[in-house]
Amino acid sequence: MATRVERILKAARAKGQKTLSEYESKRVLAAYGVPISREVLVSSQSEAKAAAKKVKYPVVLKGCSADEAHKTEKGLIAVNLASQSALVDAFKTISKRAGKNYDGAFLVQEMVSGSREIMIGMHRDPSFGPAVMFGLGGIFTEILQDVTFRVAPLRKKDARDMLRSIRGHKILEAVRGMPAADLDILCHALMAVGQVALDHPEIEEIDINPLIIRGSKAVAVDALIVLADPEADGASS
Amino acid sequence: MADVMEKFFAPKSVCVIGASSTAGKPGNVVVKNMRDAGYKGKVYLVNPRGGEIEGYKVYKSIDELPDNIDQAVVTLPASLAPETVRALGAKGTKAIVLAASGFSEVDHAGEALQDELIAAIRESGARVLGPNTTGHVSTSSSYTSSFFPLGDIPRGSVSYITQTGNFCGISLRHIMSAENFGIARSCGLGNKADLDECDLLEYYGSDDETKSIFMYLESIKNPKRFLRVARRVSQKKPVFLLKGGASDAGAAAAVAHTGSLAADGRVVDGAIEQAGVTRLRKYSHLFQVAKALDTQSLPRGNRVSFLSPSGAFTVCLTDICRSLDLEVPDLEDKTCKRLQEYAPPFIRMRNPVDIFGSVGLVGYEKAYGDALDAVLADRNIDAVVVIMMLTTETGVPKMDFIVDLSKKYPNKPVYVTFMGEHKHNVAAKEYLEPKGVPCYMLVEEPFEVLSLLASCRKNMPVR
Repeated sequence: MATRVERILKAARAKGQKTLSEYESKRVLAAYGVPISREVLVSSQSEAKAAAKKVKYPVVLKGCSADEAHKTEKGLIAVNLASQSALVDAFKTISKRAGKNYDGAFLVQEMVSGSREIMIGMHRDPSFGPAVMFGLGGIFTEILQDVTFRVAPLRKKDARDMLRSIRGHKILEAVRGMPAADLDILCHALMAVGQVALDHPEIEEIDINPLIIRGSKAVAVDALIVLADPEADGASS
Repeated sequence: MADVMEKFFAPKSVCVIGASSTAGKPGNVVVKNMRDAGYKGKVYLVNPRGGEIEGYKVYKSIDELPDNIDQAVVTLPASLAPETVRALGAKGTKAIVLAASGFSEVDHAGEALQDELIAAIRESGARVLGPNTTGHVSTSSSYTSSFFPLGDIPRGSVSYITQTGNFCGISLRHIMSAENFGIARSCGLGNKADLDECDLLEYYGSDDETKSIFMYLESIKNPKRFLRVARRVSQKKPVFLLKGGASDAGAAAAVAHTGSLAADGRVVDGAIEQAGVTRLRKYSHLFQVAKALDTQSLPRGNRVSFLSPSGAFTVCLTDICRSLDLEVPDLEDKTCKRLQEYAPPFIRMRNPVDIFGSVGLVGYEKAYGDALDAVLADRNIDAVVVIMMLTTETGVPKMDFIVDLSKKYPNKPVYVTFMGEHKHNVAAKEYLEPKGVPCYMLVEEPFEVLSLLASCRKNMPVR
């Protein structure tokens, strides 16, 4: 596991990347047991079509490169593509928006449905070191800022406390016909993110946003890993 | 480490470097304070002029002192601190309190001086409290190094670690004159050039005199160690923290959202939570919560009953309990039946207990006394607040029944608050508190205290 992650990080640094692409970020997180969406990285329209058959419609198509941290703002995401023709249209649109010089790839992803979005993150605090964040995800992350932090390494109890200590913690309960979220999966993901940070000081920040709760199980639908500036005087450990 | 902390908190001998004969000067007040506190150890004074101060012989220099004096209190100006620390270290003194200000808290020159001081401390082999500290207090040794006039400090089980001199100064005077509880240790950290909150917290954690710990901190010198030490100590003793000042951490050039959300002290908030430390938000809680723990136990949970002479209180204090995460649960049937015996039939007795009718029927002491006994015996209740109605016309009962009942149920805290005539309220507080029943002048206060104690209880392992 460690070697697979190290390979990804090493390759990214060799290319001078400041961030990992969504695909790379998710490989790192998945290696630590964070559940991620099913997806295939492609570089052409024909590969996209083949991938969509494998992933099964409806699918999501995204631009995927190390430079595109904020895909939504740039319109590099098309969701809920139910057919091959929709996929082909989306592929054309996204390619055009990405521009002529775009050298990134594309991600064909399963459409994860669920109306509850949450977020897990990691920030290196200058005093306490890596701190794991949990909170409401999607558009509510910035609007409500309903988040809580704990310092890594997290014990199971810390992770449990985090899930309870946001204002909107009831989102994880059985609400409006939806089952209660599987808290063990979330606790494990929180602890895993802390461990990623402890194992890899070259990782500066992590955003997993959103994790969508499908049924009762959270799935990471988007993720971003930010690398420490190699010029800077060492990431705070 | 424990050995040197003993030299701070139980010194057998102490020297005051910069002792003064001028009343009001720190070098004079500190000597008077030691005497007024009843310190029994040997006291040596140093001043180049020699002679006698406050009845003690004065040595002209540190060199003239005997070797291995346990502790030194230095009231000299800042610029003399490094050489004084070196000289004391050479004489075998291991514990030094540096009162002077004028270091890193002031300017760049002060920062440089503090760096020089830190180097001197390392060379000396001594541990240093301060600089820029009012000093510390240790009642089991009847000892203080404070230069704020204190007098005889009552001994108790509460200990303070504060990034202010107030708890060896004005706030301690408030405690001594208005709150009637005792303390075990108090320590003003000053600039933390050497000893910091972790050292003190670790010592208090293993200190038999200390039953509960209260901290006021504006910064945490070694955050990771703090988390480790606090986590351990808070499993054994109640630990509370008022954190002053917003954190400047986080919010750097954040590429990811998490970084920008790490502003506003959110990481510190999480770390304190993780450490099992109960967060205080009000300065006055540093003594109001402390008072509750000095003489009474930590409640087992958040289930509260209260005796009220007013219907309005039963309603609005129940609302307040709800907002404070306190439960006001139903009483056991047998408790309700017992309460009903002294009550007029038109009042249905339940929790909270409306005591007014019973007072009219059977008198103050019988009504309050029997009801307090009943709710304390109730298995659904963890703590009881008694709201006294005291006026000259309606009568002022003897308060001993409250003291007796409080002792009868040692695992269930009883606090008293008042509504009525101020002079009687004050007199009742002055009577009850020295007998171990904490009193609060405003009706919301005991509930705020219980709420904080209940959340502290949740952090501790079930016993």
